[in-house]
Parts: sequence; C-alpha cells; structure tokens
Amino acid sequence: MKPNLNVNFAGIKLKNPVLSASGTFGYGYELADLIPLKKIGAIITKTITFEPRPGNPQPRIAEVEGGMLNTIGLQNIGVKAFVGDPLEKLAKIGVPVFVSVAGHSLEEYAQSAKVLSSYKEISAIELNLSCPNLKKKIVCHDLPLTADVIKSVKKISKVPVIAKLSPLVADIAELSLAAQNAGADGVTIANTYPAMAIDVKTFKPKLSTVKGGMSGPCIKPMSVRAVYDAYPVLKIPILGCGGITSGQDAVEFMLAGAAAVSVGSASLVSAQNIIKIIDGIEKILAEKNISSAAALTGKINQAVNIC
Amino acid sequence: MQKRFDKTYDIISNKEICDGYFELKIKAEIGVIKSCRPGQFFMICVPGVFLRRPISIHDAQKGEISFLYKIAGKGTKILSQIKEGEISMLGPLGNGYPQLDLKGTLNRIIIAGGTGIASVHFLAARLKNKGTLYYGAKTKKDLLCLDKFKQLGWKTIISTEDGSKGYKGFITGLLEKKLKSDDCIYVCGPAPMMKAVIKTAKEKCISGYASLEEKMACGVGNCQGCAVKIAGQIKMTCKDGPVFKINDIEL
Repeated sequence: MKPNLNVNFAGIKLKNPVLSASGTFGYGYELADLIPLKKIGAIITKTITFEPRPGNPQPRIAEVEGGMLNTIGLQNIGVKAFVGDPLEKLAKIGVPVFVSVAGHSLEEYAQSAKVLSSYKEISAIELNLSCPNLKKKIVCHDLPLTADVIKSVKKISKVPVIAKLSPLVADIAELSLAAQNAGADGVTIANTYPAMAIDVKTFKPKLSTVKGGMSGPCIKPMSVRAVYDAYPVLKIPILGCGGITSGQDAVEFMLAGAAAVSVGSASLVSAQNIIKIIDGIEKILAEKNISSAAALTGKINQAVNIC
Repeated sequence: MQKRFDKTYDIISNKEICDGYFELKIKAEIGVIKSCRPGQFFMICVPGVFLRRPISIHDAQKGEISFLYKIAGKGTKILSQIKEGEISMLGPLGNGYPQLDLKGTLNRIIIAGGTGIASVHFLAARLKNKGTLYYGAKTKKDLLCLDKFKQLGWKTIISTEDGSKGYKGFITGLLEKKLKSDDCIYVCGPAPMMKAVIKTAKEKCISGYASLEEKMACGVGNCQGCAVKIAGQIKMTCKDGPVFKINDIEL
C-alpha cells in the first residue's frame, strides 16, 4: 500500500511534510524548470521585511566542514513589492505559501503582517525571530519581546502564525512554550547557528560581518536535539529544520517530534534534493509498513515510554 | 528562459595540463552544448565537500564540454583526483558575453589574468572578429593554452610577474598605454586586475564586458551570496552575471 504522506500542520493541509526553508528557495517559481514544484508540501519564501533591504557586503558565504556560513543580511524587495508579481507567480504553483517575515522592531513585524493579511494566496506567516544576522540582539533572546511580536502579529493575521526560533538559547522548551502561550500556531525549530570562520592565509574573517549563520548537515544533530527537547511541552506542531539532506534525516526530525520539516541548504546544493527527500520519506514508510507520515511524529518518545 | 540541466555526465578525461592546473572533459549531448555560451558556468558536484563548485566553461563543442581549473582548495583538489565515471552538475548558468557575432569596426581585446584565461578561451573561439589577447600570469609555468589562442587566430601579448616570459610585471601595466577608444574589451581575472582594467576603461570611455567572481552557494540566485552592485542596483553574480557591462560595474 502506498503510504499516505499528507499531514496537517497548524490547520493547513499539506500533501507531504516537506517544505522549502526560508531564504533558500527564492520565491519558488524561479526553479520551475528544474523540479516539479507542485510536489513540494509548501513553499516558505525568503524573509520579507516592511522596507526593502540591500543586504550585507561581500563576502556573504563561506563553506565549512559539512555545511556553510551565510550573512546575507535579509536582502529582500520589501513587502509591498512582494505582494505584486512574486506572490502572484508563487500562488500559481499550486502549493501552500508560507511567507517569512522579519523586522527591526515589533512595529515592523506588525506592519508587514498587516499588508500580507489581505492576500488570500498566503497560507501562513512564519516569523523569523531568530535571524542571527541582524546587528542588534535577536528577538529570541528576549522572551517578553518574542511573546509581544507573536501577539501583535496574531492580532492582525488571518492565517496561522509560525514562530521560527533560534536554537542558541539556554532552554529551547521554555522559548517554544513562550511562543505557544503568546498564540503561535506552530514553531519552526530551528534557524541557523551563530558561527564564524577565519582565513588563515589572510587572518581575515571569512564573512564581511565576521559572524554569520551556520547551516547544513553539520548542524543536524543539534537541531534534532532541540526538536526533541521542545516536543513534550508543546501542543502546537513543530516544523523541524536543520541540515536535512535525505529522507532519513527528515524522518529523524519527525521521530524527535516534528510534524513537518523544512529543507534549506540542501536545496542550494541542488533543487532536486527536496524532491529526493519527499521520495525518501515515502520509501522509508513503505519499508517500515507505516501507513502515514503523520504517524512518525514523536514516535521516539512513545518508544521510550513503553520501555 | 535559457535551458539549464541538472544531471550527471560521463567523464572523458581529467588531466593535469601543467603543474596544478587541470582540464576536465565530459561527454555532453548536443542539446546541452547548444545551450552553452561563453562566460557561463556550471555548478559541479564534488564528493566530500558540501557545496557544488562554480566553474566556467572552457570549451563546448563536438560532444564535449571542458573545464579548466586550478587546485585552489579542498574541493578542486578532490575534483582533480576524479579520473573516470560520472560527474553531476547543474548548468549552463548565468549570462554570458552578448553580441558575439557583431562585426563592426571595434578591435576585440581580451584581457585575462591567471585562471581567468579558462573562460575567455571559449569567448575567443566564438567571437566572429578575432583580436588580441593580453594575458598576465605569475610565472612562465602558469601560462596556459596560448597555443589554443594562436590556433584560433588571436594575437597574444604576455606578461609574467617574475619576467620569466614576456613583459615583466602586471598585464595592467602594459595595457594602460595601449587601450584606445575604438577597442571593445573583455576582462576576466583576479579582483585587483579587474579593478585596474575597469578603472582605465571607464577613464578612457572604452566599452566592454567583465566577468565577475563571488562566493556562491547555489548558482541560481537563491542563496543571494554573490550580490554585487551594478548600475545602482543589487544584482546576483550567478544569475544576472557573471558577465556585466564594464560601465555598469561599481567599484
């Protein structure tokens, strides 16, 4: 029997639990010639801010063992430009669209959410509360501010609001719970890890901002741990994210407690990887004789309890 | 939109052509070869490193595509050790040099520094009007494929930093006096050389194109790693370039 890949994430029906992670898939439609975009569970756009941003100076990318560092600096066209042509093209793909939103301040998050809330093409808002590229302190390191941003966006948004969290906090369960209590409909665990690299030929940092966000297979075990720690305290679903490059990786996140996963850096390596991950999950389910992907979520916990 | 392919190819050969420089040849079908234009590149998958490597097309004809590269780090080192089998890559990517068959009266001048010679070879092969290659390298040993340019009917002028062949010093030292307003230049090389040439070209109102290089993760515009400022706007080297009009490049 063909396993059922459908999942329900925060009330949104997805044909499979694999989403494109923010900032790694453009606005989606640019890859139409390379992969069947319709197969993807949902597309999370690159992060949009209220005003357009030029992003950070060069260099913005550095490869590290098993992954990469980036400091793009939220380069984007701004919310008003986004809701024009890009959103129209995105909607035509025919998969749910999650729009990633960030801001310098609580007000900027709310302003963007206000613009977005009038577009029925948008299925959810993902709040980027953890982008470590901003020069100021990140939102996730301030629990009251995290709660306030979520509350203010929730007040305006007509669609589910997902809080994307930084993994670099003392207690990811506490932060996830704070997001849930503030009204978040789901959490993404996790964003990139603050990291840096230095070129020993020149003694210069490899990124223009010295520090950036680390992603790729090298972070996967840390993000699986973060999902595992948050899962028991939450009622809202978790979108697992961090270094997923195969169906096995995706299943690992789901066993730790994720209801769905998002794929980031692997899509940069090859757009085809996201399709391979979807097929990989299906294959594992078939091999294990598990009828649905949704049944994987948190399965590791149940096994521990039985023992 | 132009055609690009994400697939595996059979390796024909991957030989060291001189100390530290390799030429990878792969078997490609006519559809892929027809899509390749000078200045474009492929993202080549190298096992053992995370990201694919952007490498420009050195030549594309008669059922094969070749890439000329220097061992610069772990990725290219591993790549140089792959001698047979299949290799996976995405391409051709980016915008190459335009108006190759434009006749006109402009003198065609190609300016290459170091491994910049790799991509301009394909340009020299496809340009209708032949011209002069100015080519600077570290030493005599680092001079590549001069014979190929000569075969294509190009005049070559050479400089080496140590003076082991041609003019001693940087190629830019030679160029400054030679460039004229009826030249059309094509530049590819290390950043300091490009900057010097672009500055001279702008001062003398010489038109032309430069192929830029920035660190990139995806090669298709999604990571936004390779942003550059072009005519007041942020552009992606991978998608909008790597070839830009010299006049539009902001230094």
